[in-house]
Amino acid sequence: MLLALTQWLAEDVRFFSVFNYITFRAVLAAMTALFISFLVGPTMIRKLTAYKIGQSVRNDGPQSHLIKAGTPTMGGALILTSIAITTLLWGDLHNHYVWVVLLSTLGFGVIGWVDDYRKVVHRNPKGLSARAKMGWQSVVALVVGVYLWKTASLPANTELIVPFLKFLVFPLPAFMFIALTYLVIVGSSNAVNLTDGLDGLAIMPTVMVSGALGIFAYVAGNAVFSKYLGIPYIPGAGELAVFCGAISGAGLAFLWFNAYPAEVFMGDVGALALGAALGTVAVIVRQELVLFIMGGVFVVEAVSVMIQVASFKLTGKRVFRMAPLHHHYELKGWKETQVVVRFWIITMLLVLMGLATLKLR
Amino acid sequence: MIVENQMKKCGTQALGETHVRAANVTATPNASVRFWIITMLLVLMGLATLKLR
Repeated sequence: MLLALTQWLAEDVRFFSVFNYITFRAVLAAMTALFISFLVGPTMIRKLTAYKIGQSVRNDGPQSHLIKAGTPTMGGALILTSIAITTLLWGDLHNHYVWVVLLSTLGFGVIGWVDDYRKVVHRNPKGLSARAKMGWQSVVALVVGVYLWKTASLPANTELIVPFLKFLVFPLPAFMFIALTYLVIVGSSNAVNLTDGLDGLAIMPTVMVSGALGIFAYVAGNAVFSKYLGIPYIPGAGELAVFCGAISGAGLAFLWFNAYPAEVFMGDVGALALGAALGTVAVIVRQELVLFIMGGVFVVEAVSVMIQVASFKLTGKRVFRMAPLHHHYELKGWKETQVVVRFWIITMLLVLMGLATLKLR
Repeated sequence: MIVENQMKKCGTQALGETHVRAANVTATPNASVRFWIITMLLVLMGLATLKLR
């Protein structure tokens, strides 16, 4: 909305032309989302506490977590509100990719919100059933996949590119493209949700990965840079840098309240939505495999759960002391803050590796 | 009530220790992370000067 206003003002005052630059609006989006969250955050936490929207803690989890019971949850609503307002303010609303990522994120947010609401407000420990949750996630992800396939105007929009290997490009048929989109969005969403088990553990990697995806989006949307770096040119994808900036800003502000000892948890409403946002951006900028590298912490957390469940069902033995992986390290004697910061450091390294794929190909 | 019951299961002594530890370490990680966030914000502002000139 503000972009249209500044473009109109730029006709008379040259200074306003600076708002046409995506990079500038991405930085502004990060700051706007950050300040919205800072302004609304304390009030929201007070209200969540007043309405007794508190997290229940799993009985079989580490005992040190029992003191977290009652901490307000559903703080993800704060993140989503900030992201949505900021994107509507600074994004180019004529760009269909902006709407795809925004609606996909909010769609997953609604699923998470319903789940949280049933668990916390209705005191129904099961929340949304696993089948219903997966069903609705599948609906949103498939709609995104089909829409992106139908609106693809260039071969690059539907090709799978392989990091580090410039000439290894796989043109995907409709079925494969939609299946890959589905896997990336739903997988990323659930992986972030599984990672969200310690204070600040999920949000900081999300901030870092979204920042890096913003760079990929900017480069992919720029004809000169994409040609120079040898990555697919996706016209219009650059605008997603604004959306990624909004995620980073809102995420950082949320971390302010979510850092150990957390004043609020994001809940499924935040975790499912943020994971879906990362997945959707990665699909649009054709960097699914790079997301797999950069989001390595999310991947390992999800894989640890799969291994634990499979091993227990097949052999009756557990591979990890507890799954997801962060609990394993806690039970090994690491302090919660050590696990969190070490996982952040690993993510930083992985994000650097992901960014290196821009040049190393 | 639920929390109290869960805490009782942990054993009083262990619970006491957890509380003492939590009280002692509460401020530090929170403060350091918040200082990191402020630094990131300042870095972002610094980067914005690339365009705003």
